[in-house]
Amino acid sequence: MFNTEIIVKSLPMLLQASVWTVIYSLTSVAIGFCIGTLMCAAGLSASRLGRAVSAFYVSFFRGVPLLVQLLISYYCLPLIGVNVPSSVAAVGTLALCTGAYIAEILRGGFLGIPPGLIEAARMVGLSRAQILTRIEVPLAVRFTLPSLVNETTMMVKASSLISVVGVLELTRLAQNIATSTFQPLEIYLTAGAIYFVINGAITLAGEFAESRFRMEKAR
Amino acid sequence: MIQLSRRSSAVIRAARFAALGVVASMAFAGLARAEDVLAKAKAKGELTVGTELQFAPFDFVEDGKQAGMNKEIFAEIGKELGVKVTFLDLPWPSVLPGLEAGKFDMVAGPATITKARMERYRFSSPIANATVAILKKKGDTSITKPEDIAGKKVGSAKATAQLAQLQDFAKTLNPPPSAIQEYVDFSQSYADLGAGRIVAVANSLPNIAYLAKTKPDVFEVVQPPFGKPVYFGFIGTKAEDSKSLMDAVDAIIIKMKHDGRLAALQKKWFGTEMETPDQVTEASF
Repeated sequence: MFNTEIIVKSLPMLLQASVWTVIYSLTSVAIGFCIGTLMCAAGLSASRLGRAVSAFYVSFFRGVPLLVQLLISYYCLPLIGVNVPSSVAAVGTLALCTGAYIAEILRGGFLGIPPGLIEAARMVGLSRAQILTRIEVPLAVRFTLPSLVNETTMMVKASSLISVVGVLELTRLAQNIATSTFQPLEIYLTAGAIYFVINGAITLAGEFAESRFRMEKAR
Repeated sequence: MIQLSRRSSAVIRAARFAALGVVASMAFAGLARAEDVLAKAKAKGELTVGTELQFAPFDFVEDGKQAGMNKEIFAEIGKELGVKVTFLDLPWPSVLPGLEAGKFDMVAGPATITKARMERYRFSSPIANATVAILKKKGDTSITKPEDIAGKKVGSAKATAQLAQLQDFAKTLNPPPSAIQEYVDFSQSYADLGAGRIVAVANSLPNIAYLAKTKPDVFEVVQPPFGKPVYFGFIGTKAEDSKSLMDAVDAIIIKMKHDGRLAALQKKWFGTEMETPDQVTEASF
């Protein structure tokens, strides 16, 4: 019953689609990291407006299912004149969603930074922006690296949802092939294996980064 | 107190700004929508068509690429209009909302021309007969005519006209089918039929005829179709700016009916030619 021929035949196409999965999810995480950093900084700032914006942002993008966010960005925003192509809607929504989680992850890291360190930085004349980019972010990332790697693997899997806005990625192609060949078992097992390998690679990269940037070495 | 009022004024300012943005973008959207869809496609040299690549023989994937009758009909349409045709693949429940959101110029599909849909959408000249029939497992002797699904477990796809017809047909049976399973797409219903979880799938004749043709040792069509006679057409919006595009598409499809190009494609994909009217003015369902 198990047909290995169909796997051999569709593997190159699935691998090609998985390149899109990797591009979409990693681009989103990179953009989401910038958004998350800003939102985290705003959430911890003295400005009341900054804190309110950050709290609203995090609660919305963490509280609404990603699938619903994707549908809103693609089908509802055009009603108010914001009509972006599928790929932009997909990356934008993924980035905004992961940004909310990353903001919370980083908040944990920021709170772990000894206040004396920031005070010392201010004493030697570093500006607020310099303190953020040179001291707080590097330290917070080191503190929270395992959680950030975890979030990245989650986004690789979450990217399987973006086909609802018309973006081709691994899961959608697997569905299309499974439908056309009537061999769902073989195709979905192959797709699952590809996700497993992608996330395995991300985990390994994370472990390498952790060993490379260990706190002792940073001193 | 002072702090409170200061905060609320900041909120009001932000809200005012947001409202202004919404109004401005709506006005802009109104302007953008007034542009003629056909003229825009011609200027761009590209017609964007939304569809789902899980509806053989109209649209499916072969060697990782789109294949099927839609691609070949739209190749002719593109040639006549002098534009390149780009397809966008979405899950079917997303396709019509995408059309209304202006994500593509029209929808391939095709979709069954029904009364309810005609109220909301503009259909092209029909390209195939869509009357619903029963697909069974090869060699299942307990089903020889559509009425034999009485008391049995059957399936169809969610949000489709085929499901609605099956539900109507089920009401006329005594006993009615023991269950009507609704699937996200037809492929899952075929898989369940193959696995024996259901005994019949209701879908339009072209689709199941193609399936039985490609998998003759697994599936079999139960003749005759049970549904009311209906047709398959492509879909556009009823908006004024889409009218010229849909008129042009109609003219091309009717021309293809008269010079035999459509009949040749029907023979290729369904194994038989189909009689279709030039225009469906009133749907039977």
